[in-house]
Amino acid sequence: MSRFRPLVELGGPALLVVGAGLMATVVSRSTQIYVLQAIVAVAMVVAIYVFVGNSGVLSFGQISFVAAGAFAAGVMTVPLVLKGAILRDLFPILRDHELGNVASLVLAAGVGGVLAALVGLPLMRLSGLAAGIATFAVLEITNNLLREWTAIGPGATTLSLVPQTTGPGQATVGVLLVIAVAYAYQRSRFGRRLRATREDPAAAQAVGISIHRQRLGAFVLSGALCGFAGGLYVHMLGSISTGQVYLELTFLTLAMLVVGGMTSLWGAVVGALSVSALDSFLAEAERGALPNGSRLVVVGALMALILVLRPSGITGGKELRL
Amino acid sequence: MRGRIGWSAALIASVFALGVAGCGGDGDEAAATTEPAADGPITIGWAHDSSGQMAPFDGPALAAAKIRVDQINEQGGVDGRDLQIETCDTQNNEPARARVCATTLLEDGADIVFVTCDVDFATPVVQETISQGTLAIAPCIGTDQMGPKRFGEQGKLAFSFGNVAQDEGSAMAEFAWEQGWRSAALATNTVIVYFQNVVQAFEARFTELGGEIVARETYATGADNVDAAVSRLNAAEADVVVTSTAFGELPALVSGLRALGDETPILNSWAGDGTYWVTDNPPVTNYYAVTYASVFGDDPSDEVRELIDALTQAGAQPGTGGFLAGAGAIDGVVEAIRRADGSTEGDALASELEQFEDVETVSGNVNFSPELHSVFGREYRVIEIQQNKGKYLGAVTAKTVPEI
Repeated sequence: MSRFRPLVELGGPALLVVGAGLMATVVSRSTQIYVLQAIVAVAMVVAIYVFVGNSGVLSFGQISFVAAGAFAAGVMTVPLVLKGAILRDLFPILRDHELGNVASLVLAAGVGGVLAALVGLPLMRLSGLAAGIATFAVLEITNNLLREWTAIGPGATTLSLVPQTTGPGQATVGVLLVIAVAYAYQRSRFGRRLRATREDPAAAQAVGISIHRQRLGAFVLSGALCGFAGGLYVHMLGSISTGQVYLELTFLTLAMLVVGGMTSLWGAVVGALSVSALDSFLAEAERGALPNGSRLVVVGALMALILVLRPSGITGGKELRL
Repeated sequence: MRGRIGWSAALIASVFALGVAGCGGDGDEAAATTEPAADGPITIGWAHDSSGQMAPFDGPALAAAKIRVDQINEQGGVDGRDLQIETCDTQNNEPARARVCATTLLEDGADIVFVTCDVDFATPVVQETISQGTLAIAPCIGTDQMGPKRFGEQGKLAFSFGNVAQDEGSAMAEFAWEQGWRSAALATNTVIVYFQNVVQAFEARFTELGGEIVARETYATGADNVDAAVSRLNAAEADVVVTSTAFGELPALVSGLRALGDETPILNSWAGDGTYWVTDNPPVTNYYAVTYASVFGDDPSDEVRELIDALTQAGAQPGTGGFLAGAGAIDGVVEAIRRADGSTEGDALASELEQFEDVETVSGNVNFSPELHSVFGREYRVIEIQQNKGKYLGAVTAKTVPEI
């Protein structure tokens, strides 16, 4: 049975994503937007899981890497003929060059990874509440830089004219890639060492594991995957503003991870898809019977309920087993 | 173990099914959507924000448009075809939901899609609409961005019946100069292009007239920095504080200055029209804004006052003069359809709109050009607020549209 375990652990999440991707090809265009959003949410939550799930350190800062990736991919794919007119203050190197879709996704991952490495070097020495607050500071700093610095992006205004290349095919393939990387990492010796530091830091250090080094590695990998997810996100929406990759998305993605089960890849995927579906359903209901704002109230209440009744999430924080 | 799989799988399946079921149509429904018959009603899809930041602007514009549509239908419609408005709430313009609104309206057969009154918030709906070859109309976007400048080649299909910010800022400068104000402190809300462009245009025209800018402060909606801007503005020695802002920052800026004992006149754009935002303590005084129409019962136009009465009777008393642009946009679109021999095809309507030259609408004469898809040259009403009471003060028109 154990020979098939990796197949099941990887195949289960992958099948769910492929199923969602297939669904996106048969529903109406309006419903397709919700399904694509759910698939891209899987990429974000799995990327967050790589660090938060494996290290046990809560981070409020991963969405800043999503934001960096989204704006990097978005700014570099706006058609060159229009970029000079709508993004006049950009650095010349950004203003005078244009990238294709795949290159922009690679860039997004690179930007996310480099940014994570820069902030991770000092921050990964922290744990507990201090780490949570410090990563929140990273989110604030990134948001303010993106909002105010018009040499690197649109500033406080909305970036438009980003090619909408994240269709069902690209979303599915992109998310499968993220899942595969996340699974390969957690099966690697680095992933095992990091989980050892999560379970018993003292014992892990006693056998020679450097907590700082292991956390930093996961933080950088998570940052790169978050950046990549940001690239998928901006190419799905076709436009982006700083408010879209800030507090609400941070809360929503963490809620997805908690609801699904923070300590497993299966939990991350299940949480992202189920909360996305619930979120979309409530968004539609808000147009009818439910008062506006119900969506976040219900998702928040669900997260609290799960924490009380099933602290390990709906998957119990375990990988899929047959 | 089996129990755990069942748990998760059942939950995912049920929640996802619930979500997808709630999200509306399936492929068959989409396929069933067809072009409306040429003699059927003309459907205007309206993606509006019912309760978010843009609600004070979108709501009155939509209400006035509905009344205008009823009036047009009573007079026989557009060459015998009735107009009808289908709405979709963008819920504070969350981008994915806004895009869903656009696709839903288009799937339901909208011939033209109306969007929210800010180009940044409207972008998802505009992009979705024009990418499908349908005309996107904003009743009151106030920048030159609603058109090719922001949306490239496809931007040919995007128009706004709002005033171009350069025109509005220039008119504000004319008013300030007429009042004898010779120095100004600028307070720019950087959150949207419209706010920025109005202040930039004011500066361009005001300095051209001989005025002096003594302070330039910035703040942004959502950045919690308006109070700091207020402190610095209070220290500036200016004849007038000029801004273009709405949302929570408007009462924060005005009441912040007054609470410090600073009674310097404050001049705002249409964004700061109305009195829905005023604070009781301290009350709003020495406050001026330019707008489309006075909503205080003293507008000089009979037609405008009648429209306000109709809106009030319908339980939709307008909070700002922007309502007029909703009705004016309907007039403009109807004229374009008539000129295009009844066609509602995006390209045909856009070509007609680009040729608009002093076309009469209830919100004033409308000019468009292939480059500029927002209205310029409109006569603005100036309103004054003293002790929280608003009144019509007079009219002002921009003499030039400055380059910014």
